[in-house]
Amino acid sequence: MKRYSSNWYWFYVINYSLVIIIIFPIYWTFISSIKQPSELNGNPTFYPKTITLEYYDRIWNFDRQERLEDTDAKDLDTYLRGTGIKRPFINSAIVSIGTILVTIVVCTLAAYSLSILKTPLKNFIFMLMILPILIPGISLIIPLYKLMRELNLVDTHFGLVFLHSTAMLPLGIFMMRNAFMSIPSTLREVAMLEGSSELKIIFNVMLPLAVPGLLTVAVFAMYVSWNDYIYAFLFINKPENTMLNLALKQLAISDNQFGLKWGDLTAGSVVSFIPIIIFYGFLQKYFVRGVTGSAVKE
Amino acid sequence: MTRLRKEQTVGLLMVLPALLLLTVFFLYPLGNSFWMSFHKWPLFGKPKWVGLDNYIYMFQDERFWESLKFTFVYTLTVTPMLFIVALGTALLCNSKAWGTTFFRSIYFLPVVMSFATASYVWLWLYSEMYGVIIFALEFFGFGGEKKNLNVWKTGTSSMWAVNAMVTWKFSGIQMIILIAGLQAIRDDFYEASKLMGASLWQTIWHVTLPLLRPSIALALILSIAGSIQAYEQFVIMTRGGPSNSTKTLVMHTVDMGFDYFKLGPAAALGVIIMIILFVLTVVQLRLFRKNY
Repeated sequence: MKRYSSNWYWFYVINYSLVIIIIFPIYWTFISSIKQPSELNGNPTFYPKTITLEYYDRIWNFDRQERLEDTDAKDLDTYLRGTGIKRPFINSAIVSIGTILVTIVVCTLAAYSLSILKTPLKNFIFMLMILPILIPGISLIIPLYKLMRELNLVDTHFGLVFLHSTAMLPLGIFMMRNAFMSIPSTLREVAMLEGSSELKIIFNVMLPLAVPGLLTVAVFAMYVSWNDYIYAFLFINKPENTMLNLALKQLAISDNQFGLKWGDLTAGSVVSFIPIIIFYGFLQKYFVRGVTGSAVKE
Repeated sequence: MTRLRKEQTVGLLMVLPALLLLTVFFLYPLGNSFWMSFHKWPLFGKPKWVGLDNYIYMFQDERFWESLKFTFVYTLTVTPMLFIVALGTALLCNSKAWGTTFFRSIYFLPVVMSFATASYVWLWLYSEMYGVIIFALEFFGFGGEKKNLNVWKTGTSSMWAVNAMVTWKFSGIQMIILIAGLQAIRDDFYEASKLMGASLWQTIWHVTLPLLRPSIALALILSIAGSIQAYEQFVIMTRGGPSNSTKTLVMHTVDMGFDYFKLGPAAALGVIIMIILFVLTVVQLRLFRKNY
């Protein structure tokens, strides 16, 4: 009975108020995206009177070609801005999945080599790998742009995958190295006596025991890649290669620069939030560990 | 001996892909950014060594000082906002009461939303015509009789509007860091302060906060480093306006490099940002070492 003393009362009052404040912008965006246009462009209402999926239909299936035919094709602005988000969504998904795969393979191999094996110079190499934490990519955009041009990686998915994976190296290697080092070395020795190769040992012995680390790295790779804005802005020019975060901007300003289309924009925001919220729902623990782990150093 | 040799070769082969990525997409651009900052980059033809000219050009540019000043003002205002909310929620969620896991996962929720999406969402909330925040503010009497409140009208109000969004978006990360720190504090300290008859606030002030110092340092420096790199929140929400009053250092770099094609000064700007961030991180590591 003592649990519900006045202190606890305030504990729940404050917490629930905060929950409402935190959730509200997300709730508001969601209901805005399913309101009828007449209701959306009026005094705010706290729940939709009638529900419509019109905005979702429009932003997802918007056909640039169709638009080009019924408006002035020479109007480059319309051409650039009038992109639906199906293609950008797929582009972002490809880059995110690519980043997850490249990160996992590269970081697992490197971390294994830098923790278990007797690789020469391994402490020095590890320090190098951690270095990008001290110098974020955002301060290197100018030389990176030059590099991307020289390597013909502008306007490619590969270019972004490489950049995002490089950004993932410190955390990825750090996490996987910790995961491997916590596995007793006798397991590897036994497998070696049975004549297994290193790759076999990684796959059959080590990785099954390093699943939490692996999930953390995968989830954070998805987070980094899905959230990227500046690389996608600088290194992607063609409309058909646009990433989701930038397509949202083009959606928003497709009529004219200052009259934003709120229904389209809120629907687009919800679509961009869905994949990440699914990840968060299922892998919350690893998400929190990954996002905060990027901050916690040795 | 041969077995060791083999293991060394295998190890090098395994670390090779990571080294390759690091060298091509980090170490080479890192070196190149210094090299580029000492050269003049004409649109056509070869780059020319110009010494410190790019730096001098940049330092004489008023826009650089304006963006530097704005970036610092933004950093100094958003950091306390983030920290206070994070500390409050961390203290609230550190108990073993029913529901704390739920509360924590809700407070962390905005962190997982992409920064760009969060900016669009809040742009809608701030919308001059039908935005719910504007509606609420006008309901409480802000904006005067005419009800023509517009948060994007001045640089200062724009910055606070963005600060509110960033606080909503990122306090979850700091909360988790602070909770980790709180959980490392042993119960004896609290018991001792209880025995001495300390009030809740006295306990927080004299026991919790001093013991939390390493986590606080980490949380603060993280948010400072993040704010120095501020870009998309301002590109999306204010577009640097009104009249360039909310232009950040990174925005200025992008303008320099990609709008005016002044690659040399832009590279020099990158080096400056790098140095600021590097110094901050070294300070952070120092603070850490001292406390352990």
